[in-house]
Amino acid sequence: MADYREAPLASRPKTLDPNEYFNLSKEYRRAEEDRAAIRASLKMQYQTQLNNPHRKALIEDPALTRWVHARANPYLYFKPTFKTSLVGLLFGVVPLFGLYYIFKAHRDRKEAQIKAGTLDRKFSLSS
Amino acid sequence: MAGVGFRRWAQALSKGKGSGISALLSGSRAASGSSKDTVLGPPPKSPEEMAAAAKKYNLRLEDYAPYPDKGEGFGDYPKLPDRSQAERDPWYKWDHPDLRRNWGEPMHWDFDMYIRNRVDTSPSPVPWSTMCKQLFGFIGFMLFMFYLGETFRSYQPVAPKQYPYKNLYLEKGGDPEKQPEEVKNYRNLMT
Repeated sequence: MADYREAPLASRPKTLDPNEYFNLSKEYRRAEEDRAAIRASLKMQYQTQLNNPHRKALIEDPALTRWVHARANPYLYFKPTFKTSLVGLLFGVVPLFGLYYIFKAHRDRKEAQIKAGTLDRKFSLSS
Repeated sequence: MAGVGFRRWAQALSKGKGSGISALLSGSRAASGSSKDTVLGPPPKSPEEMAAAAKKYNLRLEDYAPYPDKGEGFGDYPKLPDRSQAERDPWYKWDHPDLRRNWGEPMHWDFDMYIRNRVDTSPSPVPWSTMCKQLFGFIGFMLFMFYLGETFRSYQPVAPKQYPYKNLYLEKGGDPEKQPEEVKNYRNLMT
């Protein structure tokens, strides 16, 4: 797998990551240690709450709360720029009017064909 | 959230230290509800804001990178690598094993997309280009062959059914005394 190439939906596995084998620099190792320290402190907070015999309530996760709040309030820091306005137009306004006109035109054409008697009912079982 | 506020107001009115109005106007508020630590902040600009945001999200300052401020509404939420939960070590003792996540760990913006039931960014056994070529090559080839079959149709040769006894003259109610005309169901290919 020496010629493995990454793609948007296919990442590089950790066992093929050259950093795992060749990066022995102090900075990289120090960074890994700092991340482990944060992880350990969070683990301890969680475990003390989990194993507390007097606890009756759910353990609330502040990271989850932050995520929910962030996803539920997309317009807190929204700024109307060219790109965001374009996206809003393309997804909000254009389908609304476009679909209306498409359906209306199609149905009007079908109605005119029925009135003129030229409609080709290909799958009609009752005739 | 509105229910909590109403209850707090009613409780303040009922057992406030002074009269009801002064309890409301005292400026004190309950300690419940969302604090500044769990609320999305504005996109950070200065190094102090970046450091504070990194601390808020339990990330190292070097690991913390906010989304570029294009007004898309991300605020100071960190931009984490786009990796699905299926890529994480299945044998490590996660706090939430089905989600492969530890308590307090910053969640990706698209976390609900990256759970194991949904989008999976795991490495594929064969390079992506090879998979694309194989799939679309096969589909394209089949479509092309079906198109050729529709354009140049070919069937088994058939002819109308031939009946014996002079085209079933007697069975069809012909007169037994009369002599029917000769029926030839073949063609002389030699002439």
